Amino acid sequence: MSGFASPDPVTLNLWHPIAAIGEIPPGKVSATVLLDEPVNFAKVADGEPFVWRARPELRAGDAAPSTRPADALPSLVAYGYLWTSLGTPPEEIFAIPEYAEPDRRNVAAASIGVAVSAPRAIENFLDMGHFPYVHTGILGEQPHTEVKEYDVETSAERDEVLATRCRFFQPMASTVAKGGMEVEYVYRVPHPFCSVLYKSSPLDANRQDVIAIFLQPVGQERIRAHMMLSILDDQNDDTFIRRFQLMVFGQDKPILENQFPKRLPLDPRAETPIRADKSAIAYRRWLSAKGVTYGVIPAAA
Amino acid sequence: MIALHDYELSAECYKVRLMLGLLGLKWRVVPVDYYPGAEHKTPAFRTLSPLGRIPVLEDDGFTLHEPHAILIYLAGRYDTSDHWSPREPRLAAEVAQWLSFAVDLDASAGAARRADGFFEAVDADAARAEAHRLFRILDEHLWFGERQGRGWLCPAERPTIAEIACFPAVALSEEGGVSRQDYPAIRRWMDRVKRVPGFSVMSGVFPAAPGR
Amino acid sequence: MSLTNDIWSPIAASGDLPFRHVFHGQLLGQEFAAWRADDGHVNVWENRCLHRGVRLSIGLNDGRELVCQYHGWRYANRTAGCTYIPAHPADAPARTITNRTYPVVERYGLIWTTLGEERGPPARPELDSGDLLTLREMAANAPAAMAVAALRRHGDDGGQEGDGLSVTLTTPEGTRAAFFVQPVDSGRCVIRGVLAGDRSPDSIATLRLHNERLKALRDVIEAEALAAPAPEPLAPVYAPVSAELAEMPGLLKAGRRASLSVAVSRKWAAGADVAGFELAAVSGGLPTFQPGGHIDVHLPNGLIRPYSLVNAPGETGSYVIGVKRDPASRGGSQTLHETVREGDLLAISEPRNNFPLRRDANLTIFIAGGVGVTPLIAMAQALDHSGSAIAFHCFARDEAHIAFADRLGALKSRFTPHLGLDPVETEARLRTLLGQRPVGAHVYLCGPTPMLETARRVAAEAGWPEAAVHFEYFKNERAVDAGSSFEIALARSALTLTVPAGRTILEVLRDNGVDLPSSCEQGACGTCEATVLEGEPDHQDVYLSDAEKREGRRIMTCVSRARSARITLDV
Repeated sequence: MSGFASPDPVTLNLWHPIAAIGEIPPGKVSATVLLDEPVNFAKVADGEPFVWRARPELRAGDAAPSTRPADALPSLVAYGYLWTSLGTPPEEIFAIPEYAEPDRRNVAAASIGVAVSAPRAIENFLDMGHFPYVHTGILGEQPHTEVKEYDVETSAERDEVLATRCRFFQPMASTVAKGGMEVEYVYRVPHPFCSVLYKSSPLDANRQDVIAIFLQPVGQERIRAHMMLSILDDQNDDTFIRRFQLMVFGQDKPILENQFPKRLPLDPRAETPIRADKSAIAYRRWLSAKGVTYGVIPAAA
Repeated sequence: MIALHDYELSAECYKVRLMLGLLGLKWRVVPVDYYPGAEHKTPAFRTLSPLGRIPVLEDDGFTLHEPHAILIYLAGRYDTSDHWSPREPRLAAEVAQWLSFAVDLDASAGAARRADGFFEAVDADAARAEAHRLFRILDEHLWFGERQGRGWLCPAERPTIAEIACFPAVALSEEGGVSRQDYPAIRRWMDRVKRVPGFSVMSGVFPAAPGR
Repeated sequence: MSLTNDIWSPIAASGDLPFRHVFHGQLLGQEFAAWRADDGHVNVWENRCLHRGVRLSIGLNDGRELVCQYHGWRYANRTAGCTYIPAHPADAPARTITNRTYPVVERYGLIWTTLGEERGPPARPELDSGDLLTLREMAANAPAAMAVAALRRHGDDGGQEGDGLSVTLTTPEGTRAAFFVQPVDSGRCVIRGVLAGDRSPDSIATLRLHNERLKALRDVIEAEALAAPAPEPLAPVYAPVSAELAEMPGLLKAGRRASLSVAVSRKWAAGADVAGFELAAVSGGLPTFQPGGHIDVHLPNGLIRPYSLVNAPGETGSYVIGVKRDPASRGGSQTLHETVREGDLLAISEPRNNFPLRRDANLTIFIAGGVGVTPLIAMAQALDHSGSAIAFHCFARDEAHIAFADRLGALKSRFTPHLGLDPVETEARLRTLLGQRPVGAHVYLCGPTPMLETARRVAAEAGWPEAAVHFEYFKNERAVDAGSSFEIALARSALTLTVPAGRTILEVLRDNGVDLPSSCEQGACGTCEATVLEGEPDHQDVYLSDAEKREGRRIMTCVSRARSARITLDV
């Protein structure tokens, strides 16, 4: 089912996250898989990371080479993660300006393996209707199940899907929330396999917490989900913030792994959309228009 | 107050959270950054748990660091009805037998889940094969139990800590690629466990519809 | 042996479907969620929620409906029709959202189904004589053909009759046995055995003996399968949903048609002057309905009358309606009371829901007057079954005038009768009930016009927002003024038509080949609604709330007209 297929050019030329910078063991070769291709990475002596296609003579756990190899893949460090590309990536990665604000807590929450395609996981990240059922008592609670009208646009200029004015009643919206409140969300999909959400901060009415999910497509039907938080929280330590985020993502994981087909069907008649799925519909159309075929079932022409 | 050094996504920690909930106890969570932080391997944590494992329970100055030992302690100390950890010698021995089985479940189904989810370096395919071997034994045991009017792992009217010890690795097995489709008696037993008053879910475990 | 979709195969044992359980099955690569409803009916459905493809085998069997874990969509017993979408609590789901179901036969202690034709499982006369013992199933990672071949080595069923997936034999103990091999996938199967005429005193010992034998057989065929090249797994078929569902929302082209034929299976006095009718399908099943829904009954004398369904979700075998004998009847209720008898056939429409029930209230208050209990009973039963907070108030002349008292009694302390009150006392009682709106409460009203008007006024004065006050009138008692003449522009059909005095928008549309669904045709039920794009409607209905009327975006085409010279409709 998840047969090897050479990725479409759009996917091939993207920047893909492969590891949290803070978790790369110094001086050692680490291994992962990207788009069905084994890749290795390590930090050199001065701490600079680099990535290369796996070679039989260097294996995970071996001592890292002391200098950057000539055949190193493009790489950059952004939002606490190491990114690489198997094609020709753009010069810059999408912007999350809030990440640079000095009073924010930036936490690389975790990287979790999930047996699903990247687009299915993005769609789940954009979805609010499941909060009362999957994140019961945290991000939603029956009987507050309504997904109110919100706005979606696909910005041609920024080449991203944007959903605004999303509101949902949440009993425990974040690590610092005290009791239930209606939370306002903005969702961005600035990359076919990455999404950034902004939600009203319980501490500062004028600012927003940022939670991002960066998906590494290991294969068409398997991902590593890398999570990043950039939040206003002066009370809790990283362990506590991670615990909250992992608990929430851990609740989505079995849903994702029980979705069939595992690849996202782009044919409008494959599934039954409702108004609450406006952002998902826009995302599917955007993928179709871009010509992404990796991790999806393209609509019949 | 009871303190539990706990990692939300740990099947072993879930055993203790289940037991605490089923006994109606209150506890304080001390979060451990097991993954990705590997906090359980730090020297500081090893003073609590020499083997560097979670969970760890602290109660009134008493520290324990192995999940099944913690289940035995909590049931012995707080279960006024005395059914979770029975004293009758044969029954107690059967419970111990299933606790041992649960160790194997954690080392197979549990290991496959940790490999797929947290990238722990284990042979996941071997772990899955072993998990299926164990699930076949478990399903057969439960199937014949149903025919003999026994809904639980041990021949007792009510569930025991054997249920709590075995449940998490079984209930989370599909995250490690171990499907339960071929084990209908296990799936029914899971419904029964989920319907015990005081049962709680964790990330990855869904609730069951209320029974009779 | 050919593994075509036409084969019938067991996919579970009867004992695999206990109370409120959902079984995870598979046949030829196609996965199933199988569950038994509280009424005993066995459902075998495709294992995917139509919304986002999540397996329904992880869902919840509430005895009447299967609830998806992802977004709480509810699917009804038997029909697999979606009855509720929690993300849009004020809307009734489109009638056509229906999961794929498979035919089911329960026989020889096994649950049988097929991906193909509905002709039934193979007959096994030797198993027809009672005293059957269903063996523990044995799943094997081996192709079905290997299991059949291995069983044949022990069996006497030399014949290749049927699909070649079963073997009969006499056990060494002298018992007749049949083994059915379920092809789960190309490389996986389940062996299901049934012993006939087993009278051994210790059935557990017999079961264990055969379990050991089947395990040994499994080990043999699994070793054989490992040595052979693994076959390619069968690809499941994910059928597309109807085109209408892919684009939301769609306009139903239902007309005022009697598309169903039903038989009166029971007629009884459900209360003073109220006749209860239970309507059963003449063939096949009945379409999914939702609480608050109604059907149109086409009477032998040509009249068409809408009646609310009283059934609770899950009571899917029939439709139950209550008909009040109306002395001012134009012939509808009278005919049903006097002429229609048990066994008679009636033509009815498919159920529609213009009075949808939100299930996201903290408290739902039902206030019924007389036979207005009918839609509210269906709603109250639905919420009560899922444990939501409700309070049901029924205003009636006396106890005898409470219709469907048995169903109301089942609500226990949630039900309060208010008997023999005059209009002044009724208003005072309504002030007590609605004087203060509990946080997040919604109220549903159904009853005679004066009581409804009073209740709506009392609620408005007490500060209830209009969106929390839901109502359904029996009929529109306002005098309809059909004197105006105006133009209608149809945005979708690109037509402009003139509605003269004395004719309705609906009639003019139909005359010109544009069909809209309708039901009561007097502005009470909401079926013939259209969206107004431009122009000012002249509302003459009792369906829309005052706020909706002020908004001017919706119009009931059977009675309402235009104040502006021209009105543009999204038709």
